[in-house]
Amino acid sequence: MNLNLSFMAETFVHALTGIPTTLKITLVTMLISAPLGFFMALGRMKGNKGGGRLAALYVSFIRGTPVVLQILFMYSLLPSLLNYLFKSILHLNINIFRMDPIVYAYIVFSLNTTAILSEVFRSALMSVGHGQMEAALASGLSSSQAYRRIIIPQGLVVALPNICNTTINLLKSTSLAFMMTVKDIMAIAKMDAAYGYNYIEAYLVVLVIYIILCTLVQILFKVMEGSLSGYRRRITA
Amino acid sequence: MLEINNVHKSFGKNQILKGVDLNVEKGDIIVILGPSGSGKTTLLRCINFLERAEEGTINFDEIHTSFKGASKQDISRIRKRTGFVFQNYNLFANKTALQNVTEGLIVGRKIPKDEAIRRGKQALDKVGLSDRYDYYPSQLSGGQQQRVGIARAIAAEPDVILFDEPTSALDPELVGEVLGVMKSLAKEGATMIVVTHEMGFAQDVANEVVFMDGGVIVEKGTPSELFSRPKDERTIQFLKRIIREDFDYSI
Ligand SMILES: Nc1ncnc2c1ncn2[C@@H]1O[C@H](COP(=O)(O)OP(=O)(O)O)[C@@H](O)[C@H]1O
Ligand SMILES: [Mg+2]
Repeated sequence: MNLNLSFMAETFVHALTGIPTTLKITLVTMLISAPLGFFMALGRMKGNKGGGRLAALYVSFIRGTPVVLQILFMYSLLPSLLNYLFKSILHLNINIFRMDPIVYAYIVFSLNTTAILSEVFRSALMSVGHGQMEAALASGLSSSQAYRRIIIPQGLVVALPNICNTTINLLKSTSLAFMMTVKDIMAIAKMDAAYGYNYIEAYLVVLVIYIILCTLVQILFKVMEGSLSGYRRRITA
Repeated sequence: MLEINNVHKSFGKNQILKGVDLNVEKGDIIVILGPSGSGKTTLLRCINFLERAEEGTINFDEIHTSFKGASKQDISRIRKRTGFVFQNYNLFANKTALQNVTEGLIVGRKIPKDEAIRRGKQALDKVGLSDRYDYYPSQLSGGQQQRVGIARAIAAEPDVILFDEPTSALDPELVGEVLGVMKSLAKEGATMIVVTHEMGFAQDVANEVVFMDGGVIVEKGTPSELFSRPKDERTIQFLKRIIREDFDYSI
């Protein structure tokens, strides 16, 4: 089998122009999902029963369905739903069908990532021993001060490796955004490939780009972990 | 100064405390003895509202309330007047020794930072850790961690310090340094309620020893009364066992 190397070089350069889109979906999704997931976790921990059950239902729904299905479903459902919302309820004259499809990507991936992160944060916060809260109360802190100053900072350090995993999984699943006609790395490479049927070459190029991106994300998180978890290092005497 | 009456506490169907009374005057060193499971920890935790007793009253200087009906302010005021030293230290893992001590001063009590740091260092100096201000708990030995725990409890100059078996999680060779700190606190006139099995400590510094079993106070008195002339059969059996262990240990 002969690889068309000049095609690969061209596609590589061309596909690089999709990186901003891929990173934008990843970043915006994380910025939406991290706070939402965090407060969901906190709410569930502090024992809001009704809300907790609703959240649990949402999480198991998201975890129990394939991302591809969520994308197809939302992409079929959302436009007409939003159209109805804007036209009939809010009486706004916005043409939904001309909206940048990246917005759908933000919505679908945020729904997904929020659920995952809420579990990540919940298990991280629960991993902080009960004794920390008691010591804080005994020291004269209120329970919300204890959360802010003692429990949450420790929980975040515990959560970091899983936040890294979530980010990488998200980054990889954004390659499905082409299904919503978003022009990310994958979409660009596929379009180039379709022209002369050079799919193998195109996929190889995409593969390399994703490996590079994922490696960079991992390095970024390692650096963060190193600077945040200094207190766990043990100086053995 | 601190008086608790008729404390009852259950976990589910298990009644753990069945009407405990305790009266603490300023400067008292009260040692609580008793077999494992007799409710000693639960009693201390109820005083500090880490557990909520379902019956009984507490009078702490001008604060008079039932355990059940205590308001948030009552609880916060009582906690700010008591220090708690935990069996397994419970130091804040993400804070240095000094921050462990100043946290409750700065955040809990709104003492200005400079003043809090001055007092924090003073407390750490007192427990012999003037060279460990910036160490994290993970970098300290058990004995050092417990001494930070004591510094944290005394920094706010509480009216009463509650100790829950402060040396029982320590390697034997580290017990002495912690007991030494506690003895010097006692000498300075601190008021302390100490759950411990260290008979030597009880003998030397306690002015009252309380023996608990099965959720009630069986017997109490001065160390010499309780140790040389115990009245209740349960006390006698318990002391025999403890003293034999101490003896076995020393040979
Ligand atoms: N949070 C809890 N939930 C249920 N049972 C508890 C809890 N805390 C303590 N107990 C029970 O209460 C009893 C007394 O415990 P504790 O006060 O720790 O005794 P001591 O400190 O004298 O050894 C034990 O049987 C223990 O199992
Ligand atoms: Mg105990």
